[in-house]
Amino acid sequence: MEKLLKELQHADLQRQTRRHFLQTTGFGLGALGLGSLLGSCSTSSAETVGAPDVANARIPQFLPKAKRVIYIHMAGAPSQLELFDYKPELVKYHGKDCPAEFLEGKKFAFIQGVPKMLGPQGKFAQYGQSGAWMSDYVPYLQTVADEITFLKAMHTDQFNHAPAQLLMHTGSARLGRPSLGAWSVYGLGSENQNLPGFIVLASGGQQPDAGKSVYGSGFLPSVYQGVQCRTGGDPVLYVSDPSGMNRDMRKQTIEAINEINRQTYEEVQDPEILTRISQYEMAFRMQMSVPEVMDVSKEPQFILDMYGVEPGEGTFAMNCLLARKLVENDVRFVQLFDWGWDGHGTSKDHNVEGGLRQKCRESDQPIAALIKDLKMRGLLEETLIIWGAEFGRTPMQENRNGLVMPFMGRDHHLDAFTMWMAGGGVKQGFSHGETDELGYYGTKNRVHVHDLQATILHLMGFNHEKFTYPFQGRNFRLTDTEGKVVKEIVA
Amino acid sequence: MFYTLLQASSWAIFIGRFHPALVHFPIGFLLIGALLEIGRRTGKINVSESSIRFILLISAIGATVACICGYLLSLGGGYDAKLLDNHMWQGIGVAVFAWIAWLIKSDGFGGRIPFASVIYLPAFLLATILTLTAGHDGGSLTHGQGYLTQYTPEPFRGMAGMPPLEEKAEEIKPIADVQNAVVYNDIVQPILQARCAQCHNQSKQKGDLRVDQLAFLLKGGEGGPALIPGKGAESDMIKRCLLDESDDDHMPPKGKPQLTTDQITLISWWIDQGAPADKKVADLKANEAVTPALASLGEGAAPGLKKGAVKQESAIAGMKVKPASDQAIAALKKAGLIVNTLSQDQNLLEVSAVNAPNFDDKQMDLLKSVSQQIAWLKLGDTKITDAALEQIGTFPNLNKLHLEHTVVTDKGVAALKGLKFLEYINVVDTKVGDAGLKDLATMKGLRSVYVWRSAVTDSAVAQVGRQNPALQIVSGFNEAAVAEFLKAGDTTATKGVTKKL
Repeated sequence: MEKLLKELQHADLQRQTRRHFLQTTGFGLGALGLGSLLGSCSTSSAETVGAPDVANARIPQFLPKAKRVIYIHMAGAPSQLELFDYKPELVKYHGKDCPAEFLEGKKFAFIQGVPKMLGPQGKFAQYGQSGAWMSDYVPYLQTVADEITFLKAMHTDQFNHAPAQLLMHTGSARLGRPSLGAWSVYGLGSENQNLPGFIVLASGGQQPDAGKSVYGSGFLPSVYQGVQCRTGGDPVLYVSDPSGMNRDMRKQTIEAINEINRQTYEEVQDPEILTRISQYEMAFRMQMSVPEVMDVSKEPQFILDMYGVEPGEGTFAMNCLLARKLVENDVRFVQLFDWGWDGHGTSKDHNVEGGLRQKCRESDQPIAALIKDLKMRGLLEETLIIWGAEFGRTPMQENRNGLVMPFMGRDHHLDAFTMWMAGGGVKQGFSHGETDELGYYGTKNRVHVHDLQATILHLMGFNHEKFTYPFQGRNFRLTDTEGKVVKEIVA
Repeated sequence: MFYTLLQASSWAIFIGRFHPALVHFPIGFLLIGALLEIGRRTGKINVSESSIRFILLISAIGATVACICGYLLSLGGGYDAKLLDNHMWQGIGVAVFAWIAWLIKSDGFGGRIPFASVIYLPAFLLATILTLTAGHDGGSLTHGQGYLTQYTPEPFRGMAGMPPLEEKAEEIKPIADVQNAVVYNDIVQPILQARCAQCHNQSKQKGDLRVDQLAFLLKGGEGGPALIPGKGAESDMIKRCLLDESDDDHMPPKGKPQLTTDQITLISWWIDQGAPADKKVADLKANEAVTPALASLGEGAAPGLKKGAVKQESAIAGMKVKPASDQAIAALKKAGLIVNTLSQDQNLLEVSAVNAPNFDDKQMDLLKSVSQQIAWLKLGDTKITDAALEQIGTFPNLNKLHLEHTVVTDKGVAALKGLKFLEYINVVDTKVGDAGLKDLATMKGLRSVYVWRSAVTDSAVAQVGRQNPALQIVSGFNEAAVAEFLKAGDTTATKGVTKKL
């Protein structure tokens, strides 16, 4: 009964928006006073106060195929034409003017006038039983070709990094929506009580362009937001105790703070206070668990060799190894960001020749190692790995300001790009979608960002049309009003 | 008039379908009657003539009713005409001779029939023999000719002059050289034989359709041609395969073995290319969708590929159980276990001890109350031993089991053999050895076993893997395998090896 009352009260408070406030004040101060009086009279004991329970799962519509997700986002967007989307025709067009039909009514981030076409820079061949096309940029990934499902005809609506990243992760190019990871933890719950359910690891020297919003919780309670851990040094800043403070003292401090917070909650009934209380408790537990799970010094040498890491490094390779450890400890959603894939051709590091090769050298081996490592631990078939970026790159060479660029580069492209998935319920050794002979448009089985999101939720057991959260008077979903599950890739 | 009325009415088919059930009564009664008659005449048993007379009467009535039902069933059509004709007249013969035998013995008529005592035994004998032959032909009509003796073992096979036993029809043999396989003969026809021919063959032609020859497919059945060359997606056979399984027009009918997505893709691709009778795979244009499907036909296709490319629902996908009691779930949660409901309407549970590293055999009793509901159980990194597996072996609907980093051994694993829905088991870093792996391999439903860092030897993995190609045994790797893996990067710039499909 008490639980029921609490629920009712909680629901009531959630509806207390500005509109209600104005409505209530319409009845005068007396009604306002009465409202707050009624609001606080039912909660008598501190014990009934609890945060929105992160461990509490909603019931999926279907049997989940993926229990956990590792989402590898290559921020900046690598060129699909150098890695996976093999276009021999483009070789013939190399150096020729771009056909007018590709340019009519189109807007690009940087391309102006009539650019030249740019042939593929990688050497392509087919690998595995499935005959997957891959280039010599990714020699290690070739060895796991038969684990992967490629989506060759992805497309998006946004050609700038930040909005495109937001669209990819939150389903909307504008701020304020929960991210895929937040939805996942909200849906399936957090399993390991000593670790956040949604952990973010970033590498490449910069954060993704869209900032923390790509792993935020939007209008979901903030317990569902991604917690970013640092790769080198203290994984979470200020989580370890300062010298002179022991664990008992820390415990007493946190208990005292939480007690004060509880009292405040009883007074003002703001559910975010409950989130704060639970975050304090989580932080206290994380003091023990996080350093332990982030410590790779106990890993055998051959595992470190496989990923190509040295303990103490803060690299993408290290993040892959950490992702495996986190997933092994039942963290629901691990988000990796790696910055530096924006190959416009503007500098030695940002192009589709040497620069892209270097980024591939840093990431190819650990990604293949991650797939192999998860597989031998029996985790791959329960864990969905997603690899991709916010968009793709043009078959034309970039001509920023109408000039010839110092390096081979390609501009942002939203009509066709490649993503891949492995593990958790997708087909092994499969390719879905085709692009035209120059790799400009998807010609068959195109997959929009919303379709991808619908498919990911489907793999986790959720019908994306029914998996909603009420906010500001309507039910919101990750895919908003769109999205179609790509059933063809589901194993 | 009456005939057309019957044919049009669903009553005819409704009553007709009772034929296969009713027909067994006269068969049984007549045989019992014959046995009693023999027993009586040899003086072995003491039974009155009136008993046998009564049995003859109900045999005759039963045979007559079965004949009527059988006739109504035959109106539905789709049977081999000659075989059906034989079956019908033999069936009528059974009824007629049963009536004659009864009439001779009956008080009212027996005396008035000339040579009654001479006719009685032959009539009875004929009725009995015809029962057997009619029954056999009926079986052939239902199951197809040759069904009874299809699996005659040697040496009887040789004695009877039958050809050697062929591979089981439902299993589609891998093709040694996919590129040189004739699409229709080597790929399409074996699929049709395995999945369609049971009801669409020479002797049984449901919907007037036969699939054993290309000409019959083109001719089609009641609903028109089964395929339109060049138009896979518009061909009736493809459309029916793709309908929802619950749809009345879906083929194969609900409950029968279904075609896989790959098989449908292959047939549709062949039709798209004009449904040629003699073209090889290499002669036709492969597309993106059919490439993996073709690859899955080959010998030695990666086991993972076979499993992945073919759509495979979990064995518990449609399972429904009673919901677990709230108290039971609360008790599990109190012990630190995570309890999640797997999906709506099924009431199956996932239970995980990730937050209860001290979980041990004594606490296993907690799980008893949800033994029907547990489908996924994670007890990795806990203190359980073989004793816990004894209990786990009694969870009938268990589908996934995590035992990694525990001290379980072969003895415990042996207790799991009866779990018929188990598809996944993880014994990474346990004491399970070769005997345990062999025990696990006997489980028909099991799809993947993870044995890295257990006591299972590489030779056992290889051996069991050869014997059970459908089972994925993942043994992980060691320093040497990693060194091999690292070589992949050595030749970054020069590598251009195209691995053939």
